[in-house]
Amino acid sequence: MYRRILGLVFACFCAGQLTLQAQDFKLFDRSVEIHGFASQGFVYTNTNNWLTMNTNQGSAAFTDFGFNVSTSVTDKLRVGAQLYDRNLGQLGQYHPSMDWAVVDYRFKSWFGVRGGKVKTTLGLYTDTQDLDFLRTFALLPQSVYPTDVRDATIAHLGGDVYGNVSLKHRLGDLFYTAYAGHRSDSIYGGVAYLAAQYQVYFSSYGGLQYGGDLRWSTPLRGLLIGASRMNEDVTGKAKAINPLNPGAGFVPYSAVSKADWTNQFYGEYTVGKLRIDSEYRRFVHNEQDQSADIVLVEISDDVRGWYVSGSYRVTKRLALGSYYSRYSVTSAAGGLLASYAPHQTDNSLPANHIYDKVISARVDLKRYWNVKVEGHFLNGYEYSSYPDGFYPQVNPQGFKPNTNALVAKTGVNF
Amino acid sequence: MKCLKILLVAAGLMIFSPVNALASDVKVIANWSVKADTISALDLKRVFLEEKISLADGTHVEPVLEKDGPVHEVFLQEYLGMSEDDLQTHYRTLVFTGRGSMPKALGSDAEVVAYVARTRGAIGYVSSAASTERVKTLAIWVPSNSAERKLITRVEPDYPETLKRLNIGGTVRLRVSISAKGNVEDVELLGGNPILGESATFAVKKWVYAAGRSRTIAEVSISFGGH
Repeated sequence: MYRRILGLVFACFCAGQLTLQAQDFKLFDRSVEIHGFASQGFVYTNTNNWLTMNTNQGSAAFTDFGFNVSTSVTDKLRVGAQLYDRNLGQLGQYHPSMDWAVVDYRFKSWFGVRGGKVKTTLGLYTDTQDLDFLRTFALLPQSVYPTDVRDATIAHLGGDVYGNVSLKHRLGDLFYTAYAGHRSDSIYGGVAYLAAQYQVYFSSYGGLQYGGDLRWSTPLRGLLIGASRMNEDVTGKAKAINPLNPGAGFVPYSAVSKADWTNQFYGEYTVGKLRIDSEYRRFVHNEQDQSADIVLVEISDDVRGWYVSGSYRVTKRLALGSYYSRYSVTSAAGGLLASYAPHQTDNSLPANHIYDKVISARVDLKRYWNVKVEGHFLNGYEYSSYPDGFYPQVNPQGFKPNTNALVAKTGVNF
Repeated sequence: MKCLKILLVAAGLMIFSPVNALASDVKVIANWSVKADTISALDLKRVFLEEKISLADGTHVEPVLEKDGPVHEVFLQEYLGMSEDDLQTHYRTLVFTGRGSMPKALGSDAEVVAYVARTRGAIGYVSSAASTERVKTLAIWVPSNSAERKLITRVEPDYPETLKRLNIGGTVRLRVSISAKGNVEDVELLGGNPILGESATFAVKKWVYAAGRSRTIAEVSISFGGH
């Protein structure tokens, strides 16, 4: 643990010796921009292991980085791509992915189209959830932005139409996005990792994803409110040991969702150095798992999360923040293996919820380099058929109802 | 006691020194390819937030920033209504989600003027004292009901006796150019009865507005005869 802390300190020291700035060069008289970011975190918890890391002993397996290249081909046409990689405990494992690769044509301010692998607009932060340098907190509220299943909502291979419209009579601006495409989860993400405890090993997990977002920048300066909707039809392909006949070895296995959907409502208010955010997300997930045309289990999850956060920039270099986040899952299961996914209806039980009180401090050592320290006081561990930070594989001794966590993170961007 | 008075006067002069005001006066400049001579405060904000890539006349526009300094601070506060931190967060969000680019940020008025002069569609801001011969200066248009330029002295126009007797009235619309100091520099009749317009123009030229950061354009409507 001390070595890891020393490693983190050394990384900070090295970052301090660098002068990072965005690079740009001319290509056919057009400016090509190169930007990047990297972060390294450390998490210590007093009881349960969290986010697939061995946090109980202190873990620095919390690294991510990305870089992008983009240019405007014409006044209205932009192209660009970003590569992203991460390691979070047992997740990611340094398998790089194309985070986004976009061709964007903006006909008018009120109408544009973009295609390729496009970041999905869902709530305030889905598309920027990896970019922790944009905010005070080291970890976004996990009730709405679970980092272990980031890839479930982060992007789609398809297209968006988008634009903004100014309302008459100084009633503010409306921003809209509508999208459709194919979602493709990493097999190194939380869904696949959770399934592995049942000896179900996914080779692919994804499907159709479509929806929209509408946000209103109100006449009250600094106040933004909005709503997002996402529909999904997801299929996972896997191999699994059939628990009904373990001796038969691996058999093909599939998990098919039946019209999952997410609704998200949000508001953001910025006044001076104070920023207040609040969001509510409801995710309804219906999955049918089968092997050899036999339905093994049918799961219905009703996942609800919300948070209220506030952050205040005290000085040019120091920002403080706090949030309260609540997460609960109601689930029911049927089929031959229903006993593996028991009914959960009482959200007051620690097994069915996670409440998180957070305080955070961010220090900007340089314009491109920040350090964050954050305390999480968690109640509940919510263990269900849907991943949410606490996994039995790294908690073989069982779960404790309360977890206190210290998160330290440093990051650079240019 | 005398020393104390001198110190107090000196402190007062430092606090209310016009140096800050002069340093913070901003004018918005544009490349000559930008056809418009005015831009609304709202459109200016949208251009700088990359929400708007062309003006109503179809001209492509590109924002240019100053890196820091009093002019930059005033521009952020007055025209964008956001802090440097929030602005950088906004641009980084665009850059790292593939939805926009980082605007050019330059170190001085002279660099901004030079860049705007040679870059098609560029719109920037500099101190009002800066030399801007190679670029055009845009007036900031504010709606007549806006609180951004508060009317301090209003002179009511005369209702010409003949028209009043004949019960000829109506509303005239005027385009008013207001200097940074608040004086009305120019008035143009946009619509309405020309005789009423002449009377209204004569009165509006005597109006005085609150001092602003730059020259602005406002649209004013004046009604005659209870219309």
